[in-house]
This record gives sequence, C-alpha cells and structure tokens, in this order.
Amino acid sequence: MRFLKSIPVEQTSPSQPPLGHLEATVMDLLWERGESNVHDVVQRLHRPLAYTTVMTTLDRLFKKGLLDRRKSARAFLYSPRWSRMEWEQKRAGEFVAGFLAGPQPAGELLISCLVDAVGQQDEALLDELEKKIRLKRKELYQRRKP
Amino acid sequence: MTGSYLFRLLCLSMASFFLVDLALGAVLFLLAPGAIRLSERLRPQLAARLLLLLRLAPAGLSLLMVAGLLAPSYLWLEPRAATEPIGWVCLAAAALGVAVWSLSITRALRAAGRSLRHIRHCQRTARKTWLGGEAAPVWLMEDPAPLVMLAGVLRSRLVISRKVVSALSAEQLAAVLRHERAHSRSRDNFKRLLVLLAPGVLPFFRGFSRLEQAWARVAEWAADDFAAAGDSHRSLTLAAALVRVARLGAAPPPPVLVTSLMANGIDLSARVDRLLHFVPAAAKPGRIARLLSGGAGVLMGACVIALMAQPVTLRAAHEFLEALIR
Repeated sequence: MRFLKSIPVEQTSPSQPPLGHLEATVMDLLWERGESNVHDVVQRLHRPLAYTTVMTTLDRLFKKGLLDRRKSARAFLYSPRWSRMEWEQKRAGEFVAGFLAGPQPAGELLISCLVDAVGQQDEALLDELEKKIRLKRKELYQRRKP
Repeated sequence: MTGSYLFRLLCLSMASFFLVDLALGAVLFLLAPGAIRLSERLRPQLAARLLLLLRLAPAGLSLLMVAGLLAPSYLWLEPRAATEPIGWVCLAAAALGVAVWSLSITRALRAAGRSLRHIRHCQRTARKTWLGGEAAPVWLMEDPAPLVMLAGVLRSRLVISRKVVSALSAEQLAAVLRHERAHSRSRDNFKRLLVLLAPGVLPFFRGFSRLEQAWARVAEWAADDFAAAGDSHRSLTLAAALVRVARLGAAPPPPVLVTSLMANGIDLSARVDRLLHFVPAAAKPGRIARLLSGGAGVLMGACVIALMAQPVTLRAAHEFLEALIR
C-alpha cells in the first residue's frame, strides 16, 4: 500500500476529484488539528496566504464533499468528513477499481507494477538485513580479536 | 441398554461438550492477549508450550469433563428404563457440538490428505541423500522454488531443493538443517494437527487465530534458538542463511501440516533481528526441577481423577445433565 500512497494526488481516478497542493495542505492540517475555522487555518499555514484564498479553498473542499461544516458565531467551522485512513483507502480503492475496469492489459499492468513495487520493497528489506548481519559479524570478529 | 438411552447419552455428551467448550473458549478468548504478551517474555520453547497448552485447553478440558465425569454419572445414575424427552435447548447445543466436531475433523482430515499428497509428490520427484553431517537422510528436490521444509506428521522428512543447497555455504546449510531438525524433535507438524483437530468456539468461528499465530511464531523462534545452540556465531550464520534463502524468491505456500523455513515471510525481519541480538538462553531447569514439576502435574491429575470419582461429584454432574435435558 505504500506504493499507492506515493501516487501524486493529481493522478486519482476521475470519479474522485483531484486535490491541489493547497487543498492537500489544508486537509493535512484539518486531519491533524480537527475542527477549525478559516482564521485558525490561516494562522497554522506555513506560508502567508490571504484570508479569502483559504476561505475559497475550504469552501471548494466542502463542495467536493471532503469537509463538513457548521456555523458557529457568524463563522463556519470545518472538519474532515473522513479520517485520513478512510480517505486514502477510498482513493486507493477507486484508483485500483478504475484501472482494473479498463482493458485487460491495463489490469495486468497494474498487477505487474504492484508485484514489482512489493519486490523492490522486499529487496530493500533484504539489503538492510544483510547490512545488519555484516555489521554484527564485524562486531563479533573485533570482540574475538585479542 | 435401549437406543433412546444411548441417544440421550450422545445428545447430552455433545451438548455438554459444546457448552463447556464454549465457556472455556470465551474465557481463553479474553485471556489470549495477556497470554501472548506474557509469552513474549518467556524462553521461546516454554512460550510455545504455554501457548499450545492454552489453545488445546478448552477442547481437552471439555473432553475430560464429558468422558471423565458427565458420561460416567449418566451411566451410573440414569435409570435404564427412563423415557425422558429431550428439550430443544439440549438438542440445539448437541447439534452445535456435532457441527464443531465435524468441521474440525473434516479440516484435520483434509489437511492430512494434502500433507500425504505432498509427501507422495516429494517421494516421486526427490532423491534421498545425506547432507551437512546429518544422521538422517534429506530429500533433495530438483525444484526451481527455494524449498526447505519438514513434511510428515508422525514420521517427518526433511525436504530441500537443490537451489537452496547450491546457494548456501556448508555452515549455513548445517544451521538450516539444525533448525528443521528442531521442528522434527518438537513434533511441530503433529502439534499443528492437534490444533486443527481442536474444535473452535462456534461452528464457523474458531476464535483462536491470534493464539495460533503466536504459537507458530514462537515455535519458529524456538527452532531458531535450537539451531543457534547458545552460540552467537551460529546464530549469525542462521540469520545469514535466512536472508540468503529469502533472496532466492518466494516458494509456493506449503500445506498446513508442513513446516517451512520461510513459511511466515512477514516475520523474517523480526527473526533476523532476534538472531542478531542473540542473548544466550538462561540455564534450562535442571533434572530435579523437571522431575518436581512433572510429579506435581501427576499429583494434580490424580487429585482431579479422585475428585471426579467421588459419588457427590457424580451426583452433582447428573443434576447438571438433568437440568440440561429439560
């Protein structure tokens, strides 16, 4: 699943609206901090952005169905409709379903990519383990030397 | 002895087995996470024994209750001429008892059949040879997959593919063979069969998968420790052998009653880490300690049997059966 998570947000399936950079940052912030208003989000962003820009972004995310909102003292409070995991599962599921729904070679291509990615991860793990063994062997050898 | 008398005995035995097994299974289900945590702090060999004992305890104790207490009390105290109707609760529990036993026996027989077919396939395609100073023969297979496994429930045979033999150094091969011999010594394939035979809590809910996985994991660790034999160099050699075999690619999943060196690939990292951070095992309990613990076990067993044979216990058991049949 790490392979799927690394897919850029722009490459999500057509049924799931793609997220821009600012939208993804705002979603991250809301998943981290929970329910917030526009002012809170502006304060917590790492770069200075106009209040109206953030407001428009939050409104767009609400219209895409990613956020819920409720009114509190003349301001909207926004909260994520799904947890980060639910959202990522949804995205990965729709991506895979979209790919497998295509012509036969597309499905096979996806499976072969997944197998390759898992294989590469296995290779990396085995490299790491071999490195640990080499280090331990060296340590043992040095300990035995008078 | 009439047919209805025996039918009632059968119904009551199955129903009481199911109810006792269900109650003990529910207790074990709650205790399992704690037992798994405790097992992580014990020596793997001891942990494997504890987890297996716990897994088999509900079915074993239920069988003991039925065969050693409830059935004798029925045979002793139930009048032969009595024609008591069987209540629907008893019938339902008996049906569930039959279902859990049928499912577990079917599962065990199917697994045994697969294991037998696998052994026959090995017999046809492999040739017997002696490797790495091993006293017992090893079956060498010309298979493209990296196979290292112990097949056979009662008489185990070590099967290895030439690919593995060629890839490992003599020292690594000896470590791998010692690991498999450890499984053979502790009769792990037979224990797997017992686990399959032990009924679950409900017909389609075994409920002990975490406990079974934890047992399989510590059984691997125990075999690793046996192969390392308290020596850090051997431990390192086995770790290197595991990584080397993993590099050869994935082997097809073996039948349930076959122990494979790389059966649980996910655990490879944890196993290698354990072997690298090898700490010589604490001294095993001495002969006197083992004799004492064995003696205590026998004494406890004798006490239980004596208690079960008491007329008052048998009468209480019969009252339970009377309540169950209504």
